[in-house]
Amino acid sequence: MRTVVKTLAAAAVGTIVAMSAVEPKAQAQEIQLTGPLAGAKAVRKLRLYREGRFEIAPSVSFSLLDEYRRAIITGVRLQYNITDWLGVGLWGGYGLGYNTDLTDQIDTVANRTSRTAINLNHTGNGTTIAYKKLPFGDQVGQIQWVANPQLTLVPFRGKLALFQALFVDTDAYLHAGLGIVGLQERPDCSTTCTTTASFALGSRVAFAPTFGLGLNFWLMDLISLGVEYKAMPFSWNRGGFDSRGGGTNGAFPDNKIDSNDQTFKFNQMISIQVGFALGTRKTSE
Amino acid sequence: MNFRIEPAGSAGRIERKPDEARDNRKTRVGKMGRWIGVVAAALLLAAPSTALAQKGKGKGKPPATPTTPAAGAAGGNVDDLDAPPAGTPTTPPAGGDPTTAQPTGDTGGGGGGICEIDPSACPKGQDLGEAAKRNVKAEIYAVEQIYALRYHRFELNPYWGFTLNDQFVSHPGPGLSANYYLTNVLAVGLNGNFYSGLNVDSAFNFETRRASRVAVPLNELSWSAALDFTYVPVYGKFAGFSNFIFSYDIYVAGGVGAISTRPIPVIDPDNRKFDFAPKIAFNLGIGLRIFLTRWLAANLEIADYIFPEKLEQLTIGTGPIGAKPTDLGYKTSPSNPDTWLQDGVSITNHVQAQVGLSVFLPFSFNYRLPK
Repeated sequence: MRTVVKTLAAAAVGTIVAMSAVEPKAQAQEIQLTGPLAGAKAVRKLRLYREGRFEIAPSVSFSLLDEYRRAIITGVRLQYNITDWLGVGLWGGYGLGYNTDLTDQIDTVANRTSRTAINLNHTGNGTTIAYKKLPFGDQVGQIQWVANPQLTLVPFRGKLALFQALFVDTDAYLHAGLGIVGLQERPDCSTTCTTTASFALGSRVAFAPTFGLGLNFWLMDLISLGVEYKAMPFSWNRGGFDSRGGGTNGAFPDNKIDSNDQTFKFNQMISIQVGFALGTRKTSE
Repeated sequence: MNFRIEPAGSAGRIERKPDEARDNRKTRVGKMGRWIGVVAAALLLAAPSTALAQKGKGKGKPPATPTTPAAGAAGGNVDDLDAPPAGTPTTPPAGGDPTTAQPTGDTGGGGGGICEIDPSACPKGQDLGEAAKRNVKAEIYAVEQIYALRYHRFELNPYWGFTLNDQFVSHPGPGLSANYYLTNVLAVGLNGNFYSGLNVDSAFNFETRRASRVAVPLNELSWSAALDFTYVPVYGKFAGFSNFIFSYDIYVAGGVGAISTRPIPVIDPDNRKFDFAPKIAFNLGIGLRIFLTRWLAANLEIADYIFPEKLEQLTIGTGPIGAKPTDLGYKTSPSNPDTWLQDGVSITNHVQAQVGLSVFLPFSFNYRLPK
């Protein structure tokens, strides 16, 4: 067995070496460092779609990997591009949500009992009035709005050929900023957390770093189409559960709803946007 | 290099001929090579210099004879890179090498030598006018000289995969793709992923179970293997800070193979124990490859593995626990493996991001594309 392994390993190494040794002429294809283009700019006459231009980009964003409720955020990004590679802007939007399959399953399957009274929306008190289901979806948190001042860095600029028939100027960018997030979330309670009223959602503003990257396709001088990934990590109580705060290391329920129940979530979203650039497009030297 | 020598009236500028004309010219020269060789030699003896032709008096008047470019011709718009160095003989070699500068019958104006040799081949003014109006179907490549050819090369693509769509159990793990490019845009290859021991059951599963008394059936992956086809419809190049240029391509990949999975026992972990079992799996992906050198690229792919999954039964058998197959009530016993899985299958999408490197072998290649 060991001999077979050695033989196979030797054959694999030999094959790679043999393939690597074929056709050494390609070295001649390397970029020449001497000659008429030595020292010349990498790009001349570059169309500067961004520099000195103001951009308005309506967008729609879809949250990813949601546990209980998904968010679709319609918004707009306003951005001024100081140079072709640096811009400052503000993205903001308002979110609409819909339940995940898990939320629907819990709503359908989970019984309302004294054991779940602090965690699942219900009416009744279990003694004089029997527990009765209320929609679980009414207690789960959701992102209601976002305001996100951000910097945009555009290090990469190029073009894209599709089937050698469709050509479009493209840039790739990074963005980072501060997310100010308006949440709908189960509010804090300490003594009355099993009442129906305690499940009514309250508002909270959370702050989070935002960062991500995107691609922008310039369909024409004024209009671009973009796709963007954004991460916005922060802690919040997505399910409206009492899951932390008691026991060893606070890892067990404590019959309260408070900040201990806000667990970390690496919130992510994908956005699609159409940009309208105002001002005259320039061209580099 | 190919040259065309314009008449004196057009300032005698020497220009490159379009590539398109090269083949036609080869044919023509082949037929007339001997004639032209003789005529060119004679013309060289009697030809006025280029500078003389540039004096330009009598605009529109055809020159008596075409000229060849003088070495280091002063005052004209001569493409210095293409001009022969000083002292280079301008007489074409015997046989009419098409790559050397030599006058031909289409030099415009009065035609000159070719008109004397073959009047039927002598170009006419109206012919040139018509020729100027014709549609030229020049083949122009949007991105010339593709930085890294894939044609007939192997690609080894080791990567690390991250789950994108499973908030319950993530399935990170290493993977490897090996592709052979049949053409520059089409490859066939094998792909494999290894997940065993690396699956991560999210903490939120436990918290949801504890809070709501509802369990979600969970599954973990062991490995996958597939035969894939890759197609590269998009390629291009980017400039970084307008300072350096790198090439990239975007590809789509798809194939069929197998994936080994099993349920994680969460409903009745005391009695249920599942073994991994392979299922047929289809995969579809789209990737971005950024070439760092002509044989090394950074790679990002989003791949969706689609397979029929068996899920854990949500209810527990009501029969006696620990019953043996021969015992009464074994059929509904929690110990009976036939009660552990739900009926039917659930079509599952496992979407993962794959970040890795692509190594192309052999490391070098000969450029065989026209551009």
